[in-house]
Amino acid sequence: MAKQLAFYFDASTCIDCKTCQIACKDKNNNPLGLNYRRVVNYGAGSWIPDAVHKELFIPTNFFAYNVSSACMHCEEPICVEVCPTGAMHKRDDGIVLVDDSKCVGCRLCQQACPYGAPQYNEAKGVMTKCDLCADLLEIGQETACVASCPQRALEVGELADLRKKYGSINAIEPLPKAIYTKPSIVITPHPRSQYSGKGTGKILNPMEV
Amino acid sequence: MSEDGFLSKVLGKANLNRRSFLKWSAAIGGSNVLVGGIPEGFKHAVPLAYAEEKGRWIPASCWSDCGSKGFNKAYVVNGLPVRQGTDDTIKDKPNRPQLRACAKGRSQRNHLLSASRLKYPMKRKHWEPGGGNKELRGKDEWVRISWDEALDLMAKEMLRIKEKHGNKAFLCVRPGEPTERLMSEFGGYVNGWGEHSGGTYSAAWHMGWGIPFSELENDRLDLENTELFVLWASNPAWSRLGMPMYDMSRYKKNGAKVIVVDPYYSATAQAVADEWIPCRPATDTAMLLGMAYVLINEDDPQNDPLIDWDFLNKYTVGFDKDHMPKGADPKDNFMDYVLGTYDGQPKTPQWASEICGTPPEQIRYLARRIATTNKVSFRMSPAPARVHNADSLPQVVMTLGAMTGHMGKRGEMFGHDWGHSFLAEGYPLLTGGWMLTPTSYVNGKKFENPLASGFKGYFGAFWRTDRFEDEDVWLINYNELWHALNVGEYTAGKNKKRKVDVKMIYHVYNNKMNQFPGTMECIDVHRKVDFVVTQNLFLNPTAQYSDLVLPVQSHWERYGYVRMGYRNQLLWTSQVMKPYFESQSDSWISREVGKRLGLDPDEIIHCSFKQNVFDHVANCKVIKDDASGYEPLVTITNQDMKEFGFEGKPQKGRISVKEFKEKGIYHIERKKGDQFEHIPYKAFIDNPEKNPRNTPSGKFEIHCQSYADYITGCGWDEKSPLAEYVPPLEGYESTFKDWKNKIKGEYPLQQYDLHVLRRVHSTLDNTPWLQEAFLQSFWMNPIDAEKRGILDRDTILIRSKYGKVLRNVTITQLIMPGVVAIGQGAWVNIDEETGIDRGGCSNVLHGSVSTGQGHMGLNSCNVQIEKWKGEPLKYDHQLPPLVPIKEA
Repeated sequence: MAKQLAFYFDASTCIDCKTCQIACKDKNNNPLGLNYRRVVNYGAGSWIPDAVHKELFIPTNFFAYNVSSACMHCEEPICVEVCPTGAMHKRDDGIVLVDDSKCVGCRLCQQACPYGAPQYNEAKGVMTKCDLCADLLEIGQETACVASCPQRALEVGELADLRKKYGSINAIEPLPKAIYTKPSIVITPHPRSQYSGKGTGKILNPMEV
Repeated sequence: MSEDGFLSKVLGKANLNRRSFLKWSAAIGGSNVLVGGIPEGFKHAVPLAYAEEKGRWIPASCWSDCGSKGFNKAYVVNGLPVRQGTDDTIKDKPNRPQLRACAKGRSQRNHLLSASRLKYPMKRKHWEPGGGNKELRGKDEWVRISWDEALDLMAKEMLRIKEKHGNKAFLCVRPGEPTERLMSEFGGYVNGWGEHSGGTYSAAWHMGWGIPFSELENDRLDLENTELFVLWASNPAWSRLGMPMYDMSRYKKNGAKVIVVDPYYSATAQAVADEWIPCRPATDTAMLLGMAYVLINEDDPQNDPLIDWDFLNKYTVGFDKDHMPKGADPKDNFMDYVLGTYDGQPKTPQWASEICGTPPEQIRYLARRIATTNKVSFRMSPAPARVHNADSLPQVVMTLGAMTGHMGKRGEMFGHDWGHSFLAEGYPLLTGGWMLTPTSYVNGKKFENPLASGFKGYFGAFWRTDRFEDEDVWLINYNELWHALNVGEYTAGKNKKRKVDVKMIYHVYNNKMNQFPGTMECIDVHRKVDFVVTQNLFLNPTAQYSDLVLPVQSHWERYGYVRMGYRNQLLWTSQVMKPYFESQSDSWISREVGKRLGLDPDEIIHCSFKQNVFDHVANCKVIKDDASGYEPLVTITNQDMKEFGFEGKPQKGRISVKEFKEKGIYHIERKKGDQFEHIPYKAFIDNPEKNPRNTPSGKFEIHCQSYADYITGCGWDEKSPLAEYVPPLEGYESTFKDWKNKIKGEYPLQQYDLHVLRRVHSTLDNTPWLQEAFLQSFWMNPIDAEKRGILDRDTILIRSKYGKVLRNVTITQLIMPGVVAIGQGAWVNIDEETGIDRGGCSNVLHGSVSTGQGHMGLNSCNVQIEKWKGEPLKYDHQLPPLVPIKEA
């Protein structure tokens, strides 16, 4: 029995192709405006006139990378803490889930979660979120996003095993710092990744997220 | 299943509404419901269906003409695809990777189960034989008609036009084989010719280097040997998504260094570039010549060797005056051209920098880096070759490769990454199926268009401009097509103009109004001719300006599709769902129209679609283990034929027909350095006497007379046998009215096209999931925006010599100042009052003009931009779907 299932994400190879987003949307039949998994493109750069060739602009301090995130199935999930009905709960294997039958759609979890994971489904009147494709894991398959990634940038596994394999970085910009909710994720940073809280860039694709 | 069971806990209390999905109207209801193709209340049917095995996985086609290929499958429950998946037939590993699909392929069910698909034949309300009110094309109402009525009126009008004007009055541009067969049997049709994707590369490589399309690149395992990749305008993250980008990331992780040269800090540059060097679009030839100058000028064989003179002397002709091909003027050598010996203009980095915008020090650095690194793979996409007058570009690329000796060796290449999976990496290991046509008939009767006699298929017209003046050859170059039809005259070879008067345009398997340059003139042409028919899945732009629209089936609704993947995959996808409403196949339409034209339908299409699929399957070949030839892939027994219901001969292969149909994909595993290694020109490099190039000199022709003659023969420009920099029509120089004093002109910005992830050319543009995931963008640098008082997300007006487009701008640092970019393929949507395109079609900005070898010049365009003072434009994901006809 797993203790804390978690995602692994390789930011050094993610290219913001959004295959994971579409695969997840397809599997969960989510309507427009609702995506459990989203990809953010983060970076910066500027064009400075060259000192010698004054008519030329030189690209300076350019960097950009991507972060694909769904739900962090946090070790200290604040969404569970604030939920007034007990609908939001954490299982023994670490997956954080919404119990439809108890959820009243107050959206406190959505306000509290620093990762934007719980999202309100207007048609159903309840909160919905990434459930780590618990039903697929149950029958021995990979989650939709992991199986889909053309760059092989995603994995799912036991958090302790992922840490042994890939290290323990669990926060890079533009994700929030890990101290708030202790996200169950392991990240391989991009060569130019910045630690959360020490960012000099901005989200470059805000309308897509 | 109890309420307390695991699945209930996971899924919550689902509303299990087990309606029947056999009726389309139940499945495709209102706007939100149709988007997922399945009503909300049935959300959890999929996992339950897994548990209870109510559905099955069917390999499903993604047929778009993107630069890649992925494998998709659909989970079908009660005849409806409710979910998609990708390749899990094998364990994933680099030597035999899963052929994973991308976001586009995985959105197919959202694409196909759509209220905006064509359901019935439709006639334009104000059409009459002869055209009726032609001005209303594009703004008329649609009337639903029966197939019989549609086919009858189509045949009647075609017979009338043929009788009065002959077959030269029919235009069909690359309509795909079923229609080619029909129109050939009917007596012929005017077609187009030219290079879409490869730009000026195709003729240049063929003539100068003697190499066919499929042998340009080293194989993917050999590239693991490369130390330094130079990706020039190459953005596999967007244009070769899937295996090629996965490979590029692997090479990077294994220690290769990557330099990206591009006007845009592309997704590929962001992910893998160690260095990014910007270079203005349409100026690459100048920068490359500047690099060549550095090597020539600074090469010192003793102390600072930068040029591989052995390579040049042994394998090339035309580099210097002592190594010219027979009969050539010794003055016409590359070295003296670069040094400016005769034209007085040395092609220094300073000279190049003024044109390309890259600092001279960086040009020098890049040249020296390439020359002094051991294993370099220089991969250029064809984008810089899709520039007017860029005929010399491939020559300079080839020459640099020869100068630095990075050709024909392990881990080294100088060339371009081809735009189709089945042409990548070298000779195929698996062959079979068909590409770029709704279907092709393996055993069908041999046919030929009487108005393109002697030309076989797509590549037939290449390099045969000497035939264009023949009376039985009526081929119009793609780039001047719409202008030619507008003025009634086209270029038929050197010094020859020919009158043409097209009366009917029949659009099949294409969106040429949107995708050929000169969309505005194209619309004018469509309002002149007597009759326009479009056969398509959606009411795309060509359909919108038609008189008659015929709904076709997609590959998800036909028996099957056999298609090559990359070198080592073969795909056989199958029927996922019943034909959509009244849609028919292109083959059926060809037979039915043929009947009414008085032709024998069996002469047009000789067998059933299903039989043809099996003919293809039987024809699939796999390379022999010793690489000496090919042998059948599929084992077919008499029992198989009986069960499946097709005819043929039994044969022995490596996979049973049952297993191939079920799995949908066959893979070949490779090992680095194995017998299937492919290094272009290796045999020639190893023994040039025994394995000469297929060129007049038997060597690489840096000075190439046959290339020059070919281009001059096309009829638009004179070309010298040498690589020369020619300022392109609508390049960088043309943004100035006074080049010397750098005073900008009327169209001061350079615009170029990007292939974006939200669609494949113009296919998939109307897919809600993709519209949401990928913003419809127009990219502009803050420096240019600020000058014009433009803020991020403002609606802007983009004007060129040829047309006007509205877009909502994305202001970004990622693009060079002075350069703007648009995602190509957005559907044109002309506001009839203002004549402005609200859809974002880049070909509204491009003119119907041919240069050089009649290649596409879509990355050479000059524009001016201003803030739009009218009603702001909505983003297209905020707009309702384009529904062709409202249900009663």
